[in-house]
This record gives sequence, C-alpha cells and structure tokens, in this order.
Amino acid sequence: MERMISETSKWFTPQMLVAFAIFGTLPLWLEWVGLYSYIGLEVLIWVIFALGFNLLLGYTGLPSFGHGAFLGIGGYAMGWFQLNAVPNLWLGLLFAIFITALFGAAVALFVSHRRGIYFALLTLAFGQVFFFVASKWTTLTGGEDGMLNIKRLPADFGFVSFSLQDNYALYYFAFAMFVVTVLVLWRLVNSPFGKVIKAIKQNEMRVGFLGYNVYFFKWLVFTISCAVAGLAGGLFAMAQEGAYVQVMSLQWSGIIVLMTLIGGGFVSFWGALIGTVVFYLARDILGTFTDTWLLWYGLMFMVLVMFKPEGIAGMWQDGVKYLRRRRAAGTPPVVAEPARD
Amino acid sequence: MAIMDFLFNLLPHLVNGIALGLLFALIALGFMLIIGVMEVINLAHGSMFALGAYVALVIMSPEGGISAPFLQPWFGIDIIPRYVAGLVIAPVIVGVFGMGLELCLRRTYGKDPLYGLLLTFGAALVIEEIIRIIWGHGEYVLPVPKGIRGGFIYADLIWSNYRFFAAGFSIFMIGLLWCFIEKTPYGAIIKAGAHDNEMVRALGINLPKLRLFVFAFGTALAAIAGIIMAPIWGIRPQVGVDAVVPAFVIIVLGGVGSFWGAVIAGLMVGMIVGLTAAYYSDWSLLSMYLLLLVVVTFRARGLMGKVSLLER
Repeated sequence: MERMISETSKWFTPQMLVAFAIFGTLPLWLEWVGLYSYIGLEVLIWVIFALGFNLLLGYTGLPSFGHGAFLGIGGYAMGWFQLNAVPNLWLGLLFAIFITALFGAAVALFVSHRRGIYFALLTLAFGQVFFFVASKWTTLTGGEDGMLNIKRLPADFGFVSFSLQDNYALYYFAFAMFVVTVLVLWRLVNSPFGKVIKAIKQNEMRVGFLGYNVYFFKWLVFTISCAVAGLAGGLFAMAQEGAYVQVMSLQWSGIIVLMTLIGGGFVSFWGALIGTVVFYLARDILGTFTDTWLLWYGLMFMVLVMFKPEGIAGMWQDGVKYLRRRRAAGTPPVVAEPARD
Repeated sequence: MAIMDFLFNLLPHLVNGIALGLLFALIALGFMLIIGVMEVINLAHGSMFALGAYVALVIMSPEGGISAPFLQPWFGIDIIPRYVAGLVIAPVIVGVFGMGLELCLRRTYGKDPLYGLLLTFGAALVIEEIIRIIWGHGEYVLPVPKGIRGGFIYADLIWSNYRFFAAGFSIFMIGLLWCFIEKTPYGAIIKAGAHDNEMVRALGINLPKLRLFVFAFGTALAAIAGIIMAPIWGIRPQVGVDAVVPAFVIIVLGGVGSFWGAVIAGLMVGMIVGLTAAYYSDWSLLSMYLLLLVVVTFRARGLMGKVSLLER
C-alpha cells in the first residue's frame, strides 16, 4: 500500500480537508463556473454512494455489479416510511439505512462465499432480481412511474428546524452527511478491520490461514457498503422528490463501477470521489457538445482499463512519485545557470 | 380429463419455451467459447448480438437505416437469397468487430479477469451508442422469407412457423458447433486452449492467433443468434442487455466450460421463462434469476461445471 503509516492513524488528512473545502464552498462558485445547484447535490449524493461502493471494489476487491439496486432500495424505503409511517427526516433516513443494510446482509449471506467473477455474476443476478421486483410491484414502488411525492422534510433539531426545500439547503444537509460518511469510512479502512479487508483483497486464503473468518468479514463489509448505499438512496429520493427504478438497472450498476474505476478506487480512498466528479463533468460538458457523450465516455474508459487501470488517482500517485524521485536524485529540474564571477 | 386439458393448454407454452431455450443456448455457447479459451467474461456479447441483427437488417431490408443507391438492384431480387446472404455476411462483419475487441483485450491478459470484464462492459456501452448514432432509437422489423413467416392451425391452436424454424436452426447450429469442437483438430486445439494455455503454447501453436480466431468465432455466433432472434424480439438498441444477461445466467447455471451444461441450462431457462410467461407474463424474466440463485446456492459451480481459473 502506498499510504504512509503516519498518515493512516490520523483522523484528518490534507486530502480530506481539501475535499471538505471544495465541497463546502461549492455553492459559492458553482453557478459562477456555469453549472447549476441541482448538479452539485446529485454529485455529492453519488460521491457518498461511490465511497461506500469502493469499500467493496477498491478495498476488498469484490466487484459488485448490482449495487445500484441498493441505492434504489434506500430511496424506496425512505419514501415508504415518509408516506406510510412517520413523516420525520431522521427516522426516515435511519429506516432507509436499516432496510438497505438488511437487504444487503441477506444478499451477502449468498455472495460472501464467492470471489472474483463469480461474485460479480451473483451480485448482478441479485441486482436484476431487485430491479425486476421494483419495476413490477407497482402497488409498493409505483413501478415504471416511480414513487412520487416524496417530500424534503425539514431537518428538525428540537430547538431549531431547517427547511430543506431549497437545493442549497439540501446540499448542505447532504454535505454534513458526506463529512460524517468520509470520517467514518476513513476510520474504518484504517482500522484493524480495514487491514483485514485489504488483506482479503490480496490473498483470501492466506487471511483464512491467519485465523480470520474471511466469510464474516466479507459479509460485514458488504452490509456496511449497502448501509452507505441506503443513506445515499434516501438522500437521492429527497433530492429527486421521488424514488425511481432506473438507478437499479444493470446500466447504472455498471456505471458506478466505471466511475469508481476511472477515478482510481483501486489505489486511493479518493478515487471514488474523483471518478464521480469526472463522470458528472463529462456528462455535462461533453453533453453540451454532443448527444452521444456516453460513446466518448465509454471509449475513455476502455483506454483507461487498457493502459492505466489504476485510474486518475493512480496517475496522480505516479506523478508524485516521479517528482519525489527526481528531487531525491538531486538532479535540478532546470539547467543550472553558469556561475558568475 | 381435467389434467389432460391442462397439459394440452400448456403445450404451446412448452413449445415456445423450448424454442426460446434453444436460442438462449445458442447465445450462451458463443459466450462460453470465449470464457473457456480466454477467461474473459465478454459483456459486449449482447451488443454483438444486437449489432448482428442491425447489420443483417441493412443487408436484408431496403428500410434498414442505411440506404445507398448502388444497393438498389440488390433489393430487387428475391428475399430468400438476401436472407441467406444476411445470415452469412453479417456474422462475418461482426466477427471482424470481435477481432478488434480482442486486440484491445490483449493488454488485460495475465491481470485480474475483472479488467477483461470491465473492458468489455465499456465496449458494450460504446457499441450500443454507435448503434444509436447510426440507426436511432426506433424499433425495426427484420423481413423473413415467406416460407417461415405466418403460422398454421393445428388442434385448434395457432402455431408460429418462425418458432419452429428458429428452434430447428438452433439445433442445427448447436449440432454443427458440437461437431466442430469434438470432431475436428481445430476444436481439439480450442479445447486444449481452454484446459491449459501454457501447454498449448509449448506445443508450438500460435496462441494469439487462436485467441483472435476464437473471439471472432464467438462473436459471430452471437451475431447469428441475434439475426435468428430478431423477428421474435424486434430490433432495438437495448436488445443487447436482454441477450447477454440470459447468456451469463445460463453459463453460471450450466457450469463454466461445459458444452452440454450450457445446452441443458439454456433449455431450462427457456422453459421456465416460457411457462411463467403463460401465467404471470410480467414476472417471466424474474423466474430465470430465481432458478439461478436456487441452483447456485446448492451447486456452487453450476450443474456440470468444473474448477475454473476464473475463481481465483
């Protein structure tokens, strides 16, 4: 692993503070660079989802090809709770997280004994099952039309209550969730638990020989990842004011894999974040020039898998390493001026 | 008597299911050939399936999206030679696309098989977008010769001619493929390549060439399946996903590397989809996944699977 020991024991790192600073000030300059408030919200929610997903793909080496289903389940759980039980934001979010984690835990029982391609295929199958059930069970989910009229309930702290109707208000609510998610996941991947899952990625059998219950760890990491997906799904349902089945489709489950990989989820915690931002920027910037932006994005992805599967974060790390090596070698970057007498 | 009536009512659905199952098996066999020899899950298989149908459309129909003036005399001739020409030429063209994809895949050999899967997923996106650019979002209908169009009435039920043609053609193709793999020296090399790549290379066989050929062959099979399936499913850009998902379900169900496992699993999937469609048409595709989950829970490597390199 590239990370330094001293860095892993910290609560905050420079990269983390940079990420917080960028996303924290986003509403101030988003419209100035020609984007709109909703895109910031959507990116932030997908970043939360991708960070949770990367726990599986990047850290444990488990390629889930059905993760979009859990984002969808989170949204439906949020909506159902609000429309049929208690209209309360906190309870709704907790319910979304809990239900999604529950589904994730059930699926994980089946898939935690698998690895590699078989894991990918089984998660794909489960994802399709959920997609089909969600699109056909119209009385519960609204089917193809989606679950409509999900409200952005106010964030009530007892003594003070914030309305989240405005996109920026909801953005800052999502930002708070993002900060919490980053802190929790960062602690998690740098804890002894994180060491075990990274070891599982490298050699599952050897971890088993060391006495760890590999299947339990894989089950747990899948469930945690699904819980994060549930949080993101709940937020997404609020952002869209509805829960729709499209995110559960195979295509979106694949796109989350693309995002995480392009960003460099295999080599960096921040790969998932970078990849999500790049995806949305590509969609909005390429999308203004051409209707077929997915073609160019797909080609970019193919080139990246062929030549640099470590993604953008991998290129960054290579660059940093290159600069360090040059400095260590003592070769000055520019030709030294001849000494004057 | 009631039970006989019940079985008799079931008969058309059973026939539909078998026809569907044979077609599924045909899709899956091309998919399996590529997994077997190259250890690549080709997620672009469905896109190649769709591409085959579109290319055949251009050859067979004057309303195929692409019209060139010099092709006009060609559409003057009878549909039967045009149909046969499409059935031969389209898979060849798609096979060339497959070769291109294999050349891209070369950089992922020797790495985690996940990279191959991801690369082909990207390729699937790209091919689907190319199809959208050339042919648009609309649905096309593939013309078929008069002899296999329409239907006939037997025992007060309407039977579609085309389903029988599709089933027969699939049996023919599956038989041909079996003969090719089991009875020819080329088949022996392919099987050996699936078993032990290094030994094949040590025996002086040009492995890159073999892989190029197998990939082209597998994608050409996808294209043939796409052409045969087109009159049943219609031709849409997203038809590729409808094809690749059953293909992988069948491979996992039948077991990676087993020819007859894939055929049996294809028939099982076709039957269960066909029968559930008779009663709960909305849920017919779900039955396939439930079957997969039940089988794989009890038999991790599918019905007839052997230990595969992909498990690492």
